[in-house]
Amino acid sequence: MLKNKKLITLLCATFALVLFAVACGSDDSDDASLLEEVQDRDSVRCGVRDALAGFAVLGADGSYSGFDVEFCRVVAAGVLGDANKVEFIPLETADRFTALQSGEVDVLIRNTTWTATRDGQEGANFLFTTFYDGQGFIVPADSGITSLEGLQDATICVAQGTTTELNLNAVFSARGINFTPAFFDTNTALQEAYEGGQCESYTGDASSLATYKFTSERDGGPAQYVIPEVISKEPLGPVVADGDTAWAQAVNWSIMATVQAWEFGLNSGNINSYSGDDPNVLNFLGAIDPSIEGLSTDFAVNVVSQVGNYQQIYARTLEPLGLPMAGSANRLWTDGGLLYTPPYR
Amino acid sequence: MSTTSRDDLRSSNLNPSSQGFTLWSDARTYRVAGQVIGVALVILLIWRLTNNLFSNLDRLNISRNFDFLTQPTNFAIAENWGFDTSLPRWRMLLIGLQNTILAAGGGIVLATILGTIVGIARLSSNWLVSKISTFYVETLRNIPPLVVIIFFSIAVFSSGPFPVFREATELKLPFSDSNWLILSNSRIGFPSFSAERNISAFWLLFAMTFLFAACMWAWRTVKSSKTGVPHRRVQWSLGVFVVLLVLWFFLLNGPYDWSWPSRTENGRRLASGFGTSAAYLSVTLAIAIYTASHIAEIVRGAILAIHKGQGEAATSLSLSSYQRYRFVILPQAFRRIIPNLINQYLNLTKNTSLAVAVGYAELASLTQTSIGNGAPAPQSILLMMCGYLGLSLIVSLIANVVNRSLRLKDR
Amino acid sequence: MSEVMSNGVMSEVMSAEALMPSKKLSARGWMRANLFNRWYNAVLTLILALVIAYLGFRSIRYLFWTAEWEPVRANLTLFMIGSFPRDEQWRVVVQLLLLAAAFGVIWGSMIGASRDRAAQSGSPFSAEPGWVALRRWWGLVLLLGVLLLAAWGILPLVLAFGCIALIFMLRRIAMRLASKVRIYAWFGGYVLLIASWQIVSGTGGSAWFWAAGLLAFWGIRTVRKKDLTPRLPLTLVAIVGGGAVAWAIYTFILNGLINFSGVGWDNWSGFHLNLIAATISIIAAFPLGLILALGRRSSLPAIRWLCVTYIELIRGVPLIGLLFIGNSLLGFFIDNDPFIDFFLDTPLSQISRAIVIMSLFTAAYLAEVIRGGLEATPRGQTEAGQSVGLSPWQITSRIVMPQTLRASIPAIVGQFISLLKDSSLLSIIAVSEILRVRASVHSQGAFTTLGTAETLVFIAFAFWAFAFTWSRESQRLEKHLGVGER
Repeated sequence: MLKNKKLITLLCATFALVLFAVACGSDDSDDASLLEEVQDRDSVRCGVRDALAGFAVLGADGSYSGFDVEFCRVVAAGVLGDANKVEFIPLETADRFTALQSGEVDVLIRNTTWTATRDGQEGANFLFTTFYDGQGFIVPADSGITSLEGLQDATICVAQGTTTELNLNAVFSARGINFTPAFFDTNTALQEAYEGGQCESYTGDASSLATYKFTSERDGGPAQYVIPEVISKEPLGPVVADGDTAWAQAVNWSIMATVQAWEFGLNSGNINSYSGDDPNVLNFLGAIDPSIEGLSTDFAVNVVSQVGNYQQIYARTLEPLGLPMAGSANRLWTDGGLLYTPPYR
Repeated sequence: MSTTSRDDLRSSNLNPSSQGFTLWSDARTYRVAGQVIGVALVILLIWRLTNNLFSNLDRLNISRNFDFLTQPTNFAIAENWGFDTSLPRWRMLLIGLQNTILAAGGGIVLATILGTIVGIARLSSNWLVSKISTFYVETLRNIPPLVVIIFFSIAVFSSGPFPVFREATELKLPFSDSNWLILSNSRIGFPSFSAERNISAFWLLFAMTFLFAACMWAWRTVKSSKTGVPHRRVQWSLGVFVVLLVLWFFLLNGPYDWSWPSRTENGRRLASGFGTSAAYLSVTLAIAIYTASHIAEIVRGAILAIHKGQGEAATSLSLSSYQRYRFVILPQAFRRIIPNLINQYLNLTKNTSLAVAVGYAELASLTQTSIGNGAPAPQSILLMMCGYLGLSLIVSLIANVVNRSLRLKDR
Repeated sequence: MSEVMSNGVMSEVMSAEALMPSKKLSARGWMRANLFNRWYNAVLTLILALVIAYLGFRSIRYLFWTAEWEPVRANLTLFMIGSFPRDEQWRVVVQLLLLAAAFGVIWGSMIGASRDRAAQSGSPFSAEPGWVALRRWWGLVLLLGVLLLAAWGILPLVLAFGCIALIFMLRRIAMRLASKVRIYAWFGGYVLLIASWQIVSGTGGSAWFWAAGLLAFWGIRTVRKKDLTPRLPLTLVAIVGGGAVAWAIYTFILNGLINFSGVGWDNWSGFHLNLIAATISIIAAFPLGLILALGRRSSLPAIRWLCVTYIELIRGVPLIGLLFIGNSLLGFFIDNDPFIDFFLDTPLSQISRAIVIMSLFTAAYLAEVIRGGLEATPRGQTEAGQSVGLSPWQITSRIVMPQTLRASIPAIVGQFISLLKDSSLLSIIAVSEILRVRASVHSQGAFTTLGTAETLVFIAFAFWAFAFTWSRESQRLEKHLGVGER
């Protein structure tokens, strides 16, 4: 009798489990915006790199710093009113979009190039470009190479799984330049291989080549030469998941505020003491409420006073690493650059 | 669970015919029910997870098919064996698999040789030799293989603090202008063979010679078992094989010639010879010397496990120490070594995947690159896993065959 | 596995080597016997001595003069705890102290227990002096010395010597406890271990789990004390009931009273994370490994095949491939599943996924280790259990398992070592463990090209110190437990 009971119980338990599993099989996905979730959580999860000099790097004090990191803080300041409410999540190149899709990060600010395929296939939504870059090549100065043609038959170090790799192949095969790639998963490995002479040249974003040249020469390394030719357009900016307009807008306007503030001549030092009467500036400072979901009327003040305007961010993070703003595309449109934001009214 | 024989006992006691059979009182029912439930639960779990996977992929608009395999690769790879970037991705993955096999093969050979030497050296009567081997084993065994690989890449094959070479070095043959080795941080050139003439004829003769040598082997074996003459089949068949091959080689006017390594004018590429990259050498050497430290322990353990009396008996027969090892200790140790050695070979094969960190174009690394350049992750990773699983199966299959053939000799 | 097997012979050699010095040779005689006993040995010795002298000179010159240790020195904290919030750093310090205390208590209790056993059987017993153990752990002591040199200052010195003093003080006290009181010492050690975990992670999340373990511990103990034969249902009730009660107490009472939030493991990094990830994974893998090992030897074919398939599938693929799955696919398997969402309110973090994968991976290897132990347990033991009419569960839990686990301990330690080494693979999936931290160090701008090999040497040394010490300990344990001896 006892055995009977046991068996019946077992069978019933299995049946219940099956039923439960089948019943749960119906998916009901909630369409709540990420914005609410971020506000509830009271912190922004920002996908970054952890080892790219100037853009995002883990410092000796255990905190992240760099250009991209500052923009993560900008988003937190805009959406949550506090630039420190960010959780930095270092991501590998190969799974940065997965992290975005699965909701592990709210926003990806990780030197990611805006391309049509990524916009389409990866379910990614690219926002305001924060940095205009292009792909270049660096060679040891004593190699005597001055043009891409000089790289015939060379071994070239390149970051794995990036647009850099595709550009390299497309441009070199179009020009009939024979080459051997050597690809690496981190920028550090790339640079170490190049230093060790495993490749004649290393290719990457012009910005990272410039910072590498600067720091390496400063530390007594051999002189480097960056080939002037740039083979691609690399607009880098924040990325959010597709199909969440509210969150995308909140992120986008927070970031654009840094450029707008620069255009108005506002920075973290003077934004709180602005005493002029320019209606555009006053609008920007909160005189009108554009009703962007998730952003308070004075979000721009929070952003600029806590993090700074674009110029300040740039000067703080990139210029010390030998990347002057002058001459690049990363200047205001009034100055011949590409930074142009929609008007604030 | 390990003690279910009691159930068997009970089921035979409760003989259905003698004691009014009920389904519920038979232990076999529980056995069947338990298994059905177990399997059902596992199937349910797998079904549920796959279901989730598919619905999530559909939700995110990620393709679930394998179409990407036929699309052009569009990125170049080193160690490419003439790979063109417009070829489809499955070709690229096959090259990755090929490179994995090359690294694993090289690693296995090197690790076995080094490991055996170190393992025996640890038991040397020379104090210095045994201490050095102990130092080697205790150091390498306790460092992550990934660290060893990166160390080789950045500190050995580089201009770092322990460089093997700084400038490209060409080592010349004596009295000749050809190099026998070219060493540089980006490329290493070895001599190889170049096919010259009468290739097919040579291989045909090769096959026939092989068959002939095999017949010779069989003949010697049969003769030995009939008459008791020492068979010496290795000497016989190998001798015949080598002599004939040399003969054919000269008769055919040298079908193959050496291709000595040389560099192109700009010095960046090998014009002849067999070239490989520093990445390949980093990976192969690093995993070989890492695995060798484990193999050394296996070899030493096996030798020690052989009863002391065996060695003493050999000594009392006044065998030399070489003979003692060759005829008494090693043949016995070998059988003990094999199963553990297989494990190490499997580990080594799997460890080649760490080449991801130094940019050697093997399967894992190419899969990562491919995913980064638009291939859907689920299918790519699935293919990669199948590749490694296949390799593991092949290695253990070969090893099992070897193991069985050895065991057959063991009365 | 192999690591483990090779350990088996090591103990034999140690004893063989131990015999050598007893012959008492003069220095000259010794050299004759061990270095120059044959002409070829003499030549070999001379050549090797020259090579060693040269290499030794080069390495010493490198280590002490030419090497650029500044990147290591300046980033020592980063290497050790990575991005752990610095204003919460005291938690790690307290954790160290608590671990030291737990270690001291448990060590002392172990010595006390074996002294009591010796007294019972009337054999002589002398506790090993503490400094002998320190000499045995010279790898770790060396690492500590290097760390102290690099972080020269009063605070680290006080902390290091404080920890050591704590260990030896508590060991001394625990050693002398009467056997009746010792059970409380064990218990205290357990509590200290949990506290050392909770002090970092805070009481949120996992606290009830440990408390449940505690209650289950007491439950099982009570059952045993009352001399009730432990049965599967009773044990299950103790564990599940204890867990439920603890969970209820935690959620409804404690959570309101104590609000001690901490730093969850998502924010742990550096070498701290390597050690923790390996420890958590081996603990988490244990139950599954046990089930798989039993299942593999089960007489039910379907169950056996399931277990064999799992074990062989996992053992046939590289860990890095599984980590890729964890990193890019695990989310797809569990996202938007209402059943799973009920338990998980946020997506699993990178570190959690990595630990899940490492546990699933280790379970397959542990299963093989435990199977080895099961096979080493004589069949007669099971039959003896059957002959006195014990149920299969009782035989497994009371007779087979204790012997199996005892025999498997050295192999499990070996598995832990290889897991610790494997934790360096997390760097490939962007988890900021120590090897990944190194990449950050060389991107900081200050050390782009400086000391790239030196940081790697340091990391290798850190892993070596732990792995070496643990492997020596496992050899000792093996000898101590008499594994492989019949």
